[in-house]
Amino acid sequence: MATLNMLHSERKPDKLRSLGILALNGMFDEMDAVGVLRQAAQDILPGDLAIVSSFGADSAVLLHLVAQVDPSLPVYFLETGKHFPETLAYVETLKKQLGLMNVIAIHPDPADIKRFDPTGELWETDPDSCCHIRKTEPLEPITEQFGGWVTGRKRFQTKERGVLPHFELTSDDRIKVNPLAYFSDADVNQYKIDHGLPEHPLFSMGYKSIGCAPCTSVVAEGEDPRAGRWRGLNKKECGIHFDFNGAIASPMNAAKFTLYKDGAFIADPFHAWEDGDDAATARYKHVPVTVFLANREAFLDNQAPLGLLVSPGEKIEDVEQDLSRFSSIAIKFPAFTDGRGYSTARLLAERYHYDGEIRAVGDVLQDQIPLMRRCGVNAFVVTHQPTREALEENRLPEVAIFYQPVGIAEVPVGTRPYLRRAH
Amino acid sequence: MYRYDEFDAAFVEGRTAQFADQVARRLSGELSEDQFRPLRLMNGLYLQLHAYMLRIAVPYGTLNSRQMRKFAHIARTYDRGYGHFTTRQNIQFNWPKLRDVPAILGELASVEMHAIQTSGNCIRNTTADQFAGAAADEIIDPRPIAEIIRQWSSLHPEFTYLPRKFKIAMTGAPNDRAAIRFHDIGLQAATNGAGDIGWEVWVGGGLGRTPMIAKLINSFVPNEHLLAYLESIMRVYNRYGRRDNKYKARIKILVHEEGLETIKGQVEAEFAEVRGGVLTLPAEEVDRITAYFAPPEFKTGTATKIDVAYESIIDPAYGRWLDHNINSHRQPGYASVTISLKPIGGAPGDATDAQMDAVADIAERYAFDELRVSHEQNLVLPHVAISDLRTVYDALVAAQLAEGNAGLITDIICCPGMDFCSLATARSIPIAQEIGRKFASAERQADIGDLKIKISGCINACGHHHVAHIGILGVEKKGGELYQITLGGDATENASVGKIIGPGFEAEQVPDAIETLVDTYIARRTSADESFIAAYRRLGEAPFKEALYGNA
Repeated sequence: MATLNMLHSERKPDKLRSLGILALNGMFDEMDAVGVLRQAAQDILPGDLAIVSSFGADSAVLLHLVAQVDPSLPVYFLETGKHFPETLAYVETLKKQLGLMNVIAIHPDPADIKRFDPTGELWETDPDSCCHIRKTEPLEPITEQFGGWVTGRKRFQTKERGVLPHFELTSDDRIKVNPLAYFSDADVNQYKIDHGLPEHPLFSMGYKSIGCAPCTSVVAEGEDPRAGRWRGLNKKECGIHFDFNGAIASPMNAAKFTLYKDGAFIADPFHAWEDGDDAATARYKHVPVTVFLANREAFLDNQAPLGLLVSPGEKIEDVEQDLSRFSSIAIKFPAFTDGRGYSTARLLAERYHYDGEIRAVGDVLQDQIPLMRRCGVNAFVVTHQPTREALEENRLPEVAIFYQPVGIAEVPVGTRPYLRRAH
Repeated sequence: MYRYDEFDAAFVEGRTAQFADQVARRLSGELSEDQFRPLRLMNGLYLQLHAYMLRIAVPYGTLNSRQMRKFAHIARTYDRGYGHFTTRQNIQFNWPKLRDVPAILGELASVEMHAIQTSGNCIRNTTADQFAGAAADEIIDPRPIAEIIRQWSSLHPEFTYLPRKFKIAMTGAPNDRAAIRFHDIGLQAATNGAGDIGWEVWVGGGLGRTPMIAKLINSFVPNEHLLAYLESIMRVYNRYGRRDNKYKARIKILVHEEGLETIKGQVEAEFAEVRGGVLTLPAEEVDRITAYFAPPEFKTGTATKIDVAYESIIDPAYGRWLDHNINSHRQPGYASVTISLKPIGGAPGDATDAQMDAVADIAERYAFDELRVSHEQNLVLPHVAISDLRTVYDALVAAQLAEGNAGLITDIICCPGMDFCSLATARSIPIAQEIGRKFASAERQADIGDLKIKISGCINACGHHHVAHIGILGVEKKGGELYQITLGGDATENASVGKIIGPGFEAEQVPDAIETLVDTYIARRTSADESFIAAYRRLGEAPFKEALYGNA
C-alpha cells in the first residue's frame, strides 16, 4: 500500500480540470485508442490508472492497447467463480501472448457467498444481488485505490452507451477512460485481425459478449451484441460500469446510501471533516470554510479529491478563487427554515459558474428540495424517511412553473423572458 | 385590473395542488405540526386561539365583484358568515376547518385569487394606495409594478425562508396613504431630472416591538432596474439579516445596527452584479401590464360637482358621508368612495357575507366593477360618477355600510386582539367598540375632525398603534390588561412614531382617557382647521400629559 499512497500524491486532477473534460474529449481522433490510453496513463494519471477486464469476447483489443502503452498497468480480473472454463483458459492465453505483467484476480468475499448464495443459484433468483456480491463488492476497495480506470465500453454496444465519450468524470471525482468508445463491431473485428489477436474460444460459437456462464447466452445474427447477457431480464449492466461510487445495482445495501444525485441514492464517497484530520493528507472530506482558509496552502498542495462545507453566515466570496479546487461543495442547512444556503447556492452556480457537485446537507426535506434545485443544488444528503420515499417515487410537492429567472437550467416560457420560467 | 393568463392560472393551480398535498400529509399524520407550520404559514393558514385562520391575498388591494362575491360565498359556506379585512389589504376567515382549506383555495383559484405568501418568512402581498389609478394627486398608478412584483416574489426560491417576514408597500402619489415608510421596503413614485418616472426606495421601516421609520436608500430607481434592485436588497437581507433572535430579525434591525451606509454599500455592490441581467424589465412589458390597469371608459358631460352644503341640510347623514367618505378623483365628474367598515359598536374591518354581496352588486353597477381594500380596513369604490353618489349611498344604507366616518375618530384601525389571536396579550376589539360608542355622535365626530386612533392587542403592533395620532397598546400587567397610550404617530409622508405619554389605563378607563385628550385638543386648537396632529405638534405632549395625569 505504501506504493499506492506514493502514487496518489502524483495525481493531477487539477491539470485535468484545467483542461476540462470537454476539451480533453476533443483532443483525440475518435479512433485513436492508443493516444487516449497513453494520455491517460502517462500524463493525466501516471501510476494511478488501472483496468478491469472480463477477459470476454472483445477484451483482447483493450488488453492489446494496454500492452503497447504499458504492460505493467494493473489489470484486474473479476474471478466471480461463475466463469466459463474457456474464459479462464483465455486469461492465460492473453497474458502470455500480450506480455501482460500485472494481471490480478479479485475474488468475492467467501463470507458473502456463504451468506447470500449458499446454493450457488443466486444468479437465477436475484441476478442483481449476484453481480453485487461477485463484482461490485469485491471491486469497491480496489476502485478506491485508483484515480482512474480504463474500460472497454463502446458506443455501439447498447442504446445506453450511445453517447459515451473518451473521458468521463464520475461523481466521486474519478476518471473513466474509454479508449474504444467509438469502435464499432467491425472495427473491433478488424483490429483483432490486423494484430493477430487470439479469439475467445466461445466467440465462434455465437457468444458476442461474454460474462459469467449462467448469465450469458448466444446472440443471434443482427441482435444487440449484449442481448445475450441476462437474457430475459430487465438488466443491461452488471453495475460496475455505471459509476464506481455505487450508482449501480446494489439491492442489498441501498438503504445505507443517503446521497441522492442524478435520480438515485448512491454511496457517498465523501465524509465529514473531523478534528484531527490533516490538511495535507485528507481525501474525500468536506472541509469547513474556516478550516480551509486557515490551512489554504496545505489544502492547495494536497492533490486528493476534496469538498468544501459552507455553513450559514460563511461567505462564499471568501473562497471564490479556490472553488475549482473542490469537486463537491456542501451547503449546510442547519434548519430548513434557515434560507441563507439558497443565496450561497445561487452565487455558486450563477455568479461563479461552479459546475461541480453542489449538495444540500442538514435539514433537507421534500418541501424544500424543489426550491434548492432551482437555486443550483444538484445533490442532497437525505435522512428523513418520507423525503427519501418522495424522491424515490418522484413525487416531490412542487409547482412546476416559475415566475422568476433563477439558476442556469431554467428556460423562458412565452413572452416574458424576464419573469416566466419552466424546467 | 389584471387578469390571469394561462400561465398565472396554471401557477395558482399548481400551488393549490401542492398545498392540498401538504394538508393531506398533515391530516394523515405524516407531517408533524412543527413541519407543517412553516408550510401552512407560507400559504396564509394560521392556527389561532380557537381555530385555523386563513388569510387571502388581495394583491395591492384591488378586486372585482366576482372576487368579492367569492369571499361572501366562502364566508357563508366554510366560515361563520363574515370575513375580516386587514391592514395588509387582505381578508381573513377566522373559522375554516383544515380539511376544507384545499376546497377554499380551489374556489379562490376559480376567481384568480390565492393565499400564497400571506404569512411566513417570505415576501408578503405588496400593498398600495387604495386610491391608486383614481386619486387626483397621483403621479402614476403603482399597481402595474405592484403586479410585476407580485409575480417576481411569488414562490421565489431564494427568498422563501428569510430571517423574517418581508413587506413591500407602494404609492404613486406624494401624499402617502399606504404607510410606505413603515414597511420593509417602501416605494414612492418619483421623477428624475429628465422627467422619467421611477421609484424612491425606502428601506428598513416597520412597526412591531421596535418601530422604525424607513430610510431612503435610493432616490431614483427606474422601472427597468427595479426588480434587480429589489433582488439585491433581498439577497443582502437574506444573507446578513439576524436569525438568532426573531424579534431582531426584520430588515429594520439590520439597517439600524449596520447603518444605512453599510447596507447601501452592500446593496449597491450586489446591484452592480445583477443590474442589466435577466431581471431587466423591458418597457414594452411594463406597458403590457399597464394596459390591464387602463382607466375605465369614463362618461363625460355628467355632473362634476355636488353641493354638499345643500345636501347636508336636506339629509345630514348623507352630507356627513359626502364630507368624509369621498376622495377627489383625477377624472372630472367622478369620485372615489370609502365604504366604512367601522360601524359604531362593530368590529373594525369585519363584513358579513350579505354586505360583501351588496358591495359587489354596487361595484358592478356603479363603479366599473372595481373595488379596493384600504390598509385602514375599509373598502373603496374607486370610480363612482358624482351623479350616482346618492344612489350608491342609498344602496350602502340598505346594507348598513353607510357610516360617514372615514378618517374620523371612530374610523379605528384595530387588530383582532385576544378575542381571536394567540399572540395577543389584551383585547382590542372591545376597546374600539367602547370608544366608538363614546364618540357615537356624528356631529361631535365631525367637530373633532381628522383623528386617527389605532389599537393593538400586543406589542407586535398589528393595529399600527405606533403611527396613530392617538395609539392604544394593550399589554398584560399583573395578570390583567393594561392599555398604554401613545401620541403623535403619523403613517404618512410626515412619518413619526408616537410616544408613550404615561402609565397605562384599565380597559374601562380608556374611553374617558381618550375623551380627556380630545377635549384638551378642542380647547387648545387655534381653529377647527387645526387638526389634532397639527395641534399636538405645535403644543407638544405637556398639555395632554397634564390633562391625563395632573400636574404631579
